[in-house]
Amino acid sequence: MLTAAQLLEGLARYRTDEVVVTTMSSARPWGHLSSHELDFASIDSAMGHGADLALGIALARPARTVICLNGDGSMLMSLGTLATVVGAAPLNLILLVCDNGTFEITGNQPVAGSGRVDHGALAEAAGFRNVYRFEDARDYIETLPEVLSALGPTFVHVLVKPGTEGPIARGPAQEVTYLQPSLAESARALRAALDAGST
Amino acid sequence: MPELTLRTLIGDGVTHVVGLPDSISGPLFDAVSSHPALRLVTVAREGEAFAIASGLWIGGARPLVVIQNTGLLESGDSLRGTAQRMAVPLPVLITGRGYQKMHAAGIQPDEARTLDLLTRPDVDTTALFTEPTLDAWGVPFKRCEGDDDPAADLHSAIEQARAQERPVALVVSRPLN
Repeated sequence: MLTAAQLLEGLARYRTDEVVVTTMSSARPWGHLSSHELDFASIDSAMGHGADLALGIALARPARTVICLNGDGSMLMSLGTLATVVGAAPLNLILLVCDNGTFEITGNQPVAGSGRVDHGALAEAAGFRNVYRFEDARDYIETLPEVLSALGPTFVHVLVKPGTEGPIARGPAQEVTYLQPSLAESARALRAALDAGST
Repeated sequence: MPELTLRTLIGDGVTHVVGLPDSISGPLFDAVSSHPALRLVTVAREGEAFAIASGLWIGGARPLVVIQNTGLLESGDSLRGTAQRMAVPLPVLITGRGYQKMHAAGIQPDEARTLDLLTRPDVDTTALFTEPTLDAWGVPFKRCEGDDDPAADLHSAIEQARAQERPVALVVSRPLN
């Protein structure tokens, strides 16, 4: 099983110009590793819908890879999204589920079916083109370049240890830069950055 | 085929229709699915539509959400936390189930919510809750029924959403034209 830090540091090492949408417990740690203009925190938003948001960006920008760092609790809140993604068939979407079995930011309460639900199998059954499963850090790091370059839709199921991320919010007092603006300001900033990049 | 509605979408530069069809919107979904200038994104559950549409707008597209009012009631946190919180200029076409029953039963939308009313078999409570819900969520809306012109009303909703940079709804309880 990986730590969340291993997961995020590995991605930060190989990430180049992809849009990265973070959710819940990945949002703050990712902000410590990256200050890219194509980072977007789905925070102060709607839990469970980060993957939908990422799908929309991917469909609007087919030449730009979009990575969503979803949690297992968030994924369970909108499992229908797996079918919607497959129906829309974006070649440029990577949906990565950090599966720690808990609602980490509210105190690590177990999610429904914790330890029994196989998210990778759900994605496979839904019809994702690629499904990767990782529970070993070295395997994850070595395979990441392949994951990032594969034609999607791609689903990545990573088993991670529960961490200690607490509640998360937006506002000027937040320690990481991309959590300081409002959600509306962040949305406009990403829109402008994508426009400027014109892919 | 709802030709005037389709013409409105093209004329107003809509790029994507995101939603879930019903008997009123079904012909529009069929038309959009085969139109070269429009992309249809069919969702599994309506709440997805607001987040997907918000992502589309961030990516530079101009989406329209099309759902039934039953799906609106399911979509609360998604609408609030994505399109509304992100101030996305998002027109939302909501097809209205239950309005004819409400009218036939002589019920007004502001009728007291007694247990008797909420459990009557001749009342579809979806229509009863649709507009108060939009009001409560701070979503401007117009109801389109009878002799109203859905295509013209949709054009107005699109213009209002873009001018005010917020979700704006059109509740349609008659066939699309």
